[in-house]
Amino acid sequence: MTAIIECEAVERTYAQGSLTVPALRGIDLAIGRGDFATLAGPSGSGKTTLLSVIGGLDRPTGGEILIDGSPIGAMDSAQLAALRLHKIGFVFQGYSLIPVLSALENVEFILRLLGLPRAERLARARAMLHEVGLSGLEDRRPARLSGGQQQRVAVARALAPRPAIVLADEPTANLDSGNAGELIKLMERLNAASGITFLIATHDTRVIAHARRHIEMTDGRITLDERVSGPAAA
Amino acid sequence: MKELLPLLLPLGWRNLWRNPRRTLITLVVVAVGTWSVLIFAALFNALTTGSRDTTLRFLTGHGQLHAAGYLDDPSVSHSMAPPDAALRRALLAPAIAAWTERVRVPAVVQSEYRTRSATLVGVAPQSERALSDLPKEVIEGRYLSGVSDPGVVMGRDLAVRLKTRIGKRVILMAQAADGHLAEVGLTIVGLYAAGKPAEDEFVFTGLDTARSMLGLGARSSEISFAVRDEAALTAVVAELRRAAPTLDVEPWMELAPLVYTIETFGRYYTAVWLLIMFILMAIGLVNTQLMAVFERQREFGLLQALGMRPRHIVLQVVLESALLVGTGVLAGAVLAVAALAPFRRGLDLGFLAPGAEIMGESRILHPALTAVEGLAYGAIIWLLAVAAALWPALSAAQARPAAAMSR
Repeated sequence: MTAIIECEAVERTYAQGSLTVPALRGIDLAIGRGDFATLAGPSGSGKTTLLSVIGGLDRPTGGEILIDGSPIGAMDSAQLAALRLHKIGFVFQGYSLIPVLSALENVEFILRLLGLPRAERLARARAMLHEVGLSGLEDRRPARLSGGQQQRVAVARALAPRPAIVLADEPTANLDSGNAGELIKLMERLNAASGITFLIATHDTRVIAHARRHIEMTDGRITLDERVSGPAAA
Repeated sequence: MKELLPLLLPLGWRNLWRNPRRTLITLVVVAVGTWSVLIFAALFNALTTGSRDTTLRFLTGHGQLHAAGYLDDPSVSHSMAPPDAALRRALLAPAIAAWTERVRVPAVVQSEYRTRSATLVGVAPQSERALSDLPKEVIEGRYLSGVSDPGVVMGRDLAVRLKTRIGKRVILMAQAADGHLAEVGLTIVGLYAAGKPAEDEFVFTGLDTARSMLGLGARSSEISFAVRDEAALTAVVAELRRAAPTLDVEPWMELAPLVYTIETFGRYYTAVWLLIMFILMAIGLVNTQLMAVFERQREFGLLQALGMRPRHIVLQVVLESALLVGTGVLAGAVLAVAALAPFRRGLDLGFLAPGAEIMGESRILHPALTAVEGLAYGAIIWLLAVAAALWPALSAAQARPAAAMSR
């Protein structure tokens, strides 16, 4: 399996007053194309920080990260934004929808950044909302959607541009068991059908149970990295 | 970047109304600031332009020619011969819209009851109409009919002070060319009310009537001219000086220096007022935008996470400011137009009349702003306010997405 995410001795330290806090300590990791991997660990273990540096939302203080074979360390802010736009979808813990846009407009937003023609982006946005079970709620703004519905809009937004990678940070944290289960099945289905690589930071054992690869972190280091089932076709 | 405008403009407009109170307060600040700039500019335009135009359109014109020494001693001894061929050619140049000869000398006017000093002006009514608004300001009787009209037209206030009226005869006395005191009795045929009280001190008669009284023959005291385009005035004055090297040729700025100073001062004063208003608005706008950006740091981090480039974040913040300030400027402009509309026919400052007279001002002001001036002032306010949004915009775009989203 070819690696779509490669981390080589990645480090990230933060300055807190006079103290230096190491959030990542020499991470070596390779995620294969089409993999469905979970990233677990106690709070403060570095899961969110690792997703942030992989997604170019933050810069490591040491080491190298390659996305689809391209090192991202030398990329400037604009190049990183373009990388995220074209290759990486994010699902954040707090939904993070644009509050003044409707569900449809939130999904369509990224497609407009990509420059898709109106008819195509509307069709794709509606199709993604249908895929996540939100047909009929396209015109509602986030304030009029439940937590589960907002998270599904966020997933639809992350997947609408057909990214190569989806980085999800605690996507089921604020969902009830019903919605959490639906979301897990959706991500699995999309991984199987579209070959999208998922790397999900989570405490949720229900999500971990569906992973084909499981990684654990403690104090900024990978302490466990095991394949739970066979790799997906590249 | 312009392909994102259809996305960012509606997004920006909606974002403005996430905090309606703050947006409305900012709108009011901008609208009031714009309104005050436009109203002030219109009033100052009225003061400066009104004063200027009244002066130019009464007797001064855009410039005058005199015999050397006349401006220091405007008496009959400083008269000039009729224009020679060279001067006549220069006066008929396309740049000059109109010109006329006049006799203008200090005189005394005597009615049955009173005697007053005045300025006797002999005019050619036909050519005078192209240069002066006086024919339109005759409020009683009639204007002069020709160069030999034996009647006089005088200021209404002067007639009141002389305790005389239309149809009555007055005696005009002035020093003649040969030095003797000439006097002639003429009938009052018209009264005028000029824009400024000082202009009521003139007594007008036909040009040839005045020449005959003073023994001037074909000579005159001055030639007044108007140009088609004021931008060409300097060149016209230079050409006339070449054509008449023995005469004094002066533009209106030197003939009416107080009016010129007020007009120049007015332009600078308006610019200073604009600067002060902008600084006050900019402080409020920068503060508002910084607060808005601070509150939305997480959102800007999210937008970068979704793939929006930093320069697009800058564009979004600047667009929101542009929409906010643009709306405020538009509202302020509408309010200014509504405030000025009732005064289209003039603002009567009669209660300030003594002060206005000291300044050489008319008591009726016509506050006005051309569309170009209004657009220019509005555009300056808008552009400067948009520039003030750049700092908050850059601040929003420079934060790292992860750090911004953790706030």
